[in-house]
Amino acid sequence: MDTAANPRVAQQDVVLQVDGIVTRFGPATIHDGVSFSVGRGQVVALIGGSGTGKSVLVKEVIGLLRPTAGSVRLLGADVWSSDAEALSALRRRFGMLFQDGALFSSLTVAENIAVPFREHTDLPAALIPPLVGFKLSLVGLPPEAGAKMPSELSGGMRKRVALARALALEPEILFLDEPTSGLDPISARAFDHLVRVLSDGLGLTVFIVTHDLDTLLSIIDRVIVLSGGKVIADGTVDEVMQGGDPWIRDYFSARVPAVRKGS
Amino acid sequence: MAMMNTASGLLQLESADGTSVLRLGGVWRLSNLAAIAGALQASGLSACKHFVLEGGGLQELDTAAAFMLYRHLAGVGCTESMVTRRGFDPRHERLLDLVCERMSCPPAAAKNRRRDPLSRIGAATLKLWRLLQIHVAFIGTVASELLALLRRPGLFRFKETASQFETICLDAIPIAALVTFLIGVVFTYLLGLQAQRYGANIFVVDGVGLAVCRELSPLLVAVIVAGRSGAAFTAQIGTMKVQDEIDAISTLGLSPVQVLVIPRLVAIMAALPLLVFVGDLAGIAGGMLIAAWQLDVSVPTFLERLHGVLPMSAPVVGLVKAPVFAAFIAMIACRMGMLVARDARSVGENTTSTVVQSIVWVIVLDAVFAIVFQHLDI
Repeated sequence: MDTAANPRVAQQDVVLQVDGIVTRFGPATIHDGVSFSVGRGQVVALIGGSGTGKSVLVKEVIGLLRPTAGSVRLLGADVWSSDAEALSALRRRFGMLFQDGALFSSLTVAENIAVPFREHTDLPAALIPPLVGFKLSLVGLPPEAGAKMPSELSGGMRKRVALARALALEPEILFLDEPTSGLDPISARAFDHLVRVLSDGLGLTVFIVTHDLDTLLSIIDRVIVLSGGKVIADGTVDEVMQGGDPWIRDYFSARVPAVRKGS
Repeated sequence: MAMMNTASGLLQLESADGTSVLRLGGVWRLSNLAAIAGALQASGLSACKHFVLEGGGLQELDTAAAFMLYRHLAGVGCTESMVTRRGFDPRHERLLDLVCERMSCPPAAAKNRRRDPLSRIGAATLKLWRLLQIHVAFIGTVASELLALLRRPGLFRFKETASQFETICLDAIPIAALVTFLIGVVFTYLLGLQAQRYGANIFVVDGVGLAVCRELSPLLVAVIVAGRSGAAFTAQIGTMKVQDEIDAISTLGLSPVQVLVIPRLVAIMAALPLLVFVGDLAGIAGGMLIAAWQLDVSVPTFLERLHGVLPMSAPVVGLVKAPVFAAFIAMIACRMGMLVARDARSVGENTTSTVVQSIVWVIVLDAVFAIVFQHLDI
């Protein structure tokens, strides 16, 4: 699908432009020409079946894994032709939440969140602890959590701490890899709400890889569907749902019967 | 009308008729948070009944800066109800709402992990005691699993044992041979320097044979294996523990001890005596080289003398000690692997601990053997 034709993107300034990404691992082709763009302040979801290379795509976008072909422009810089210094500067402008949190296991929660402050800002040391405490409460964690080690946290708490760390430097784009998987529905909705409020308040662009239909239906401006190595649909949730693709119809209808059976 | 200007237009405090107006302006972002904190400090804002926050001139605002503002207001005793916001961009308004809502929690308590020396000694002692208890309990578990294996030998994992044997024994032959060879060289050289003074060159053979076979080779090979395979056991099992693989093994109805510990235990107990034997040969070869080169004891003379003076008991003692060392190394390493907590740092700590504990135990056992064999006249 030609994303340039998408009026919602064309009107706003583009913060992420992915062009013709091709990824091959040996004989397996994961992506076969993936292109889309994301405008500032949008909350975009990337969906697709398991093994369609969603996480791989995110890694290629943020400069962790080099695609076989294609280009990625993130916040005006070409990720794969920037030098190390430019890439490092770019990395301060976006936050990434990994699937399992990826907290540094040798540091306490508070120290984990303080890492970006210590490494990338020249804040006076006295300002860091209150800021860390605020980031913790921003993601809905009690202040006592700051003294804990990551190994003592539940899965949901790890995700929140990781979100607090990703938000530390007030990023312009936030990449979330399955942020609500493994959370109870209440925490998951609170997480969604938080993401939406941050996006609205900060003008934050959020790029979410998700399987959570509730997330899709509640906070997402736009859905990009990845299948067979290509983008097969791109638009609002309603537009995508009404498209003719059988996989997409199955995807969205999977929920309704499951809920009814349960009740 | 009193007016106060502060740093680079970030903040302006005006007072009129008992109402203060705090005008925000410029860029309120993390990047100039230090300046913002300074401006807030210098603003001379004090608690007052009512006060207006004017945000018309604000260009940018992020959560860190908004937090700084509200923290300062709370610090001088202004509650949220005393503040009226005016002229904010709706986006900034929402952000301030969010910050206010989440502010109510007190800041994170600073961690206090340092304890006085006495309680640290106490804690370390208790930890050591618990470790000993755990080791004893683990020995019991492994022993009962071994008994179960005797009743049902079909459960024994031959493939896993063989592959462990390969990494523990075959892959370690070069390093074990090299180290014992070099020790044989050094030992013979130093002994030879003394013996030469008395023209007692030939007696060097007695010393080298006895020392290498009885003490040096078993001890050095055990230390190498503790560092090489013991560390590997802990790291492998520890990483499996981190990824819940141990729980998965139990859930599949298998015993982690049968699957992970016993193959390693059997493999290392079989491997160590063989490595010690390789060490014996290499050490004696090293001695032989130096004897021929420095002490004019030719190889045939050396071998003939060795045949005459080296009692069979010396290499046998070495080979008897080896499986005992091996068992201790395996038990410590596997248990430390099982004790890993769910983080990467713990894997490292336990691996270090395995190597230290194994080497200490090998040396303690060696001393015990020395005393026992002395009493038995071996």
